[in-house]
Amino acid sequence: MKTVIAINNLSHAFGNHAVLKNLSFSITGGDFFVIIGPNGSGKTTLMKLMAGVLKTGTDRIRIFERDIRNFSYKSLARRIAYVPQRLEVGFPFTVEEAVLMGRAPHQNVLGIPQDRDIETTRQAMAITEVAHLADRKLDQLSGGEQQRVFIARALCQEPEIILLDEPTASLDISHQIRVMDLMEKLKIEKKVTVVMVSHDVNLAAMYGDRLLLLRSGEIASLGLPHEVLTFRNLEATYGCKVLVDESPLGKSPRVTPVPKKFLV
Amino acid sequence: MAAQTSVTKRLLLVIVLLTGILAAAVLVALSSGSSREGMGASLAIIFGQEDANTTLETIIWHLRFPRVLLAVLVGATLSLGGLVFQALLRNPLAEPYILGISGGSAIGAIIGIMLGLSRFPGVTFCAFIGSLATLALILVMSSGTTILKKDALLLSGVMVNAFCSAVIMFLVSLTQDARLQNIIFWLMGDLSSADSLTTGILALILIPCFLVLFFFSHAMNLLLVGKETAQTMGLPVKTVTVVLLVLTSLMVSATVSYSGLLGFVGLVMPHLLRLIWGPDHRVLVPACILGGGAYLVVCDLLARTLPQQGEMPAGVITALIGAPVFIFLLKKSRR
Amino acid sequence: MIPPSVKTISFWLVIVLFALFQLSQADAKAVVDQMGRRMTVPDAPERIVALAPSITEIIFALGRQDRLKGVTTYSNYPPEALILPKVGTYIRLDLERIVALNPDLCIATKDGNPKSAADRLTELNIPVYAVNPRDIETVAQAVIEIGGLLNAEEKARDLAEQMHARVQRVKTQVAKTDQRPRVFFQIGVSPIVSIGTDTFINELIVLAGGENIAAGSTAYPRFSREQVLALAPEVIIISSMTRGASFEHIKAEWQSWPKIPAVQNHRIDIVDSDLFDRPSPRLVEALELLVKLIHPELFGNP
Repeated sequence: MKTVIAINNLSHAFGNHAVLKNLSFSITGGDFFVIIGPNGSGKTTLMKLMAGVLKTGTDRIRIFERDIRNFSYKSLARRIAYVPQRLEVGFPFTVEEAVLMGRAPHQNVLGIPQDRDIETTRQAMAITEVAHLADRKLDQLSGGEQQRVFIARALCQEPEIILLDEPTASLDISHQIRVMDLMEKLKIEKKVTVVMVSHDVNLAAMYGDRLLLLRSGEIASLGLPHEVLTFRNLEATYGCKVLVDESPLGKSPRVTPVPKKFLV
Repeated sequence: MAAQTSVTKRLLLVIVLLTGILAAAVLVALSSGSSREGMGASLAIIFGQEDANTTLETIIWHLRFPRVLLAVLVGATLSLGGLVFQALLRNPLAEPYILGISGGSAIGAIIGIMLGLSRFPGVTFCAFIGSLATLALILVMSSGTTILKKDALLLSGVMVNAFCSAVIMFLVSLTQDARLQNIIFWLMGDLSSADSLTTGILALILIPCFLVLFFFSHAMNLLLVGKETAQTMGLPVKTVTVVLLVLTSLMVSATVSYSGLLGFVGLVMPHLLRLIWGPDHRVLVPACILGGGAYLVVCDLLARTLPQQGEMPAGVITALIGAPVFIFLLKKSRR
Repeated sequence: MIPPSVKTISFWLVIVLFALFQLSQADAKAVVDQMGRRMTVPDAPERIVALAPSITEIIFALGRQDRLKGVTTYSNYPPEALILPKVGTYIRLDLERIVALNPDLCIATKDGNPKSAADRLTELNIPVYAVNPRDIETVAQAVIEIGGLLNAEEKARDLAEQMHARVQRVKTQVAKTDQRPRVFFQIGVSPIVSIGTDTFINELIVLAGGENIAAGSTAYPRFSREQVLALAPEVIIISSMTRGASFEHIKAEWQSWPKIPAVQNHRIDIVDSDLFDRPSPRLVEALELLVKLIHPELFGNP
């Protein structure tokens, strides 16, 4: 499979504060790629750079083998969709209106919906299971429902890559699983490359094809879950004692942080 | 699945309905005035009946018509200005004067009146320069941070307006009788000096602005989901923000420089219309133009005809109606 | 070559047309008003609107009130003017009401009436004739001009002569004494406002044999009470236009400063502002009133 995102010597700083230092890695098409790491390690910054929200130098980021800087906003939007960590819900659009906005990269300037737009929206809402909420106002939904609506909107862009920044952060376990299952479904059925930042290493382990562990803006480890999630890597990165064993489901490593009372 | 198929339908409905209301308001406004002729006689003239009472004809077409047209234009501009700033700053309390336009234009206008200049072009020009100056000041002040960081713009605007208020009060305290009355009328919003030439010029400037803003109405929808997200959905956020900011500021400045600081139109109308028809700007932009216009026509009509002698400043009526409506809207939105 | 008969006929045709044209203009005339504006006014205007209370007074004084169809709100003299239709204040004219009265002539004052309103009326083919009364002399001139407009030339001349005669009488009386008491003429309460040199009240004070202590380049200078105290006026005259405070109240405020000569000598008086603030023929009345207040000793009141 081909490389869809290639990161080459990427650095980024806010003022004098270096956030990312010389990152180089690539993401293969159709992968479920999860970025993990402690707070402040640069995960969100990396996401924003890949989404084109933050600007970088020439040839640092290549999307489908083209420098990201050579894409117009609209053409990039047709290839990559971005679901940030927090979205503003201030004005009372309905779910359907909100999802339909995702069709913008494919529409003319006034965004009058065509049949194709309506069909795509319908499908997106079906996949994300928010179709029954179509006429409800966004600000009346629960966090989990809102998250699924934003994912539906991203899907309407018909992207080949979808970037999600901690989509499960404020969700309960059932909603977490639903979102992750949804991503996996997209990967398998729609061949979408999923790139996700997650704070939950176990979810990352269960779903991720490849993991990237970031520490202080540098790559601490990159590879399959079993390769990345070793207690050495994790202790060095997170600075706390962990226990790594095999998940009872059998397919992935399981990480258990160790409370102080269990340490001898 | 009702909503999506009907953007066009809702747009049409809104345009037809509000155009009807606007037309009715204009008819009533043209038929009423301080000369206290009956409405029937006026309506007859408007609809072209031959029995020409030339005095009434002159009154209707040369005195009332420019003023009513001005009310439509100003009401539309202020409502639209409020709508755009609320979208740009993602703040429902934004209103068209928020970026120092009121403070700057008021100082300019007062200086113009104190110098004894005539309403147009003298005072208008001074007011316009004043509002451009404060706008530039605010942009410079908030560009230390990111120019688009909405809080920086807002805060700078509030501070500059507050400072301008102090300057205005100082200037007012220096002024004597006749000019004082002119200043107060300008500060409250005053459509009484409308004439065909200036209203025509204003129309030529404003109508293209309205069209451009309609063009950007879906972009405003997208801006509301967040700057960064909007960009990843294909919107050139920086360019759009600058264009909207500059265009709307110029539009509001030009209008306010001529008609004075009519309040509450730009704050209340967008909220009222949003409450009825939802937040889709493709519908709200025409709604604000037509609805805002109708609202000010009615307010100005009341300002002209309610008092036994003379007239009130139209700004008094917009405030008297607007404030309770705003409180009502606030309560409604809590639910 | 044009045949001679055609030339002759054309020549006489032109003459006849010219004559006809002049005849059709016969009931109007070209004039230049006191602001230098050229216009055509009817020879015998029938429907006049007075755009300032002073104009109203002049028209009544000329006996042409039957042709007056509209006045401004504060036209309260003579009392007959009160029942005439009102067209707004002279600062904010109600154009609609003016047009509705179908006037063939409006008479305005240069000071006060906004030029934009006058221009609008002119655009609507209503001639607006502006006069510029600033003191007694120019009031008399305005009387003559308006008399000319309203076919009351003789009455106007009489009135102007009367005005001059009365002024002369006052001058003669004042010449009998050398004293020029210091006068403070108050037209504003909060803040205290008086009148400077370039006002007609100042002229009245000087003619009435007083010294205006507020004289200076500022037309309406402001004073604090301390400043007035320092200027030590011997006579304080308060115009009733000072809104928002009764005369007794204002008088009491001055009386709490007994160091002021005017207070010591009980020389605080109130006058009708309509008399003093309007550039109308009644300025002579104001003058006569003023001389009695400033020089009571000339009238048997020491």
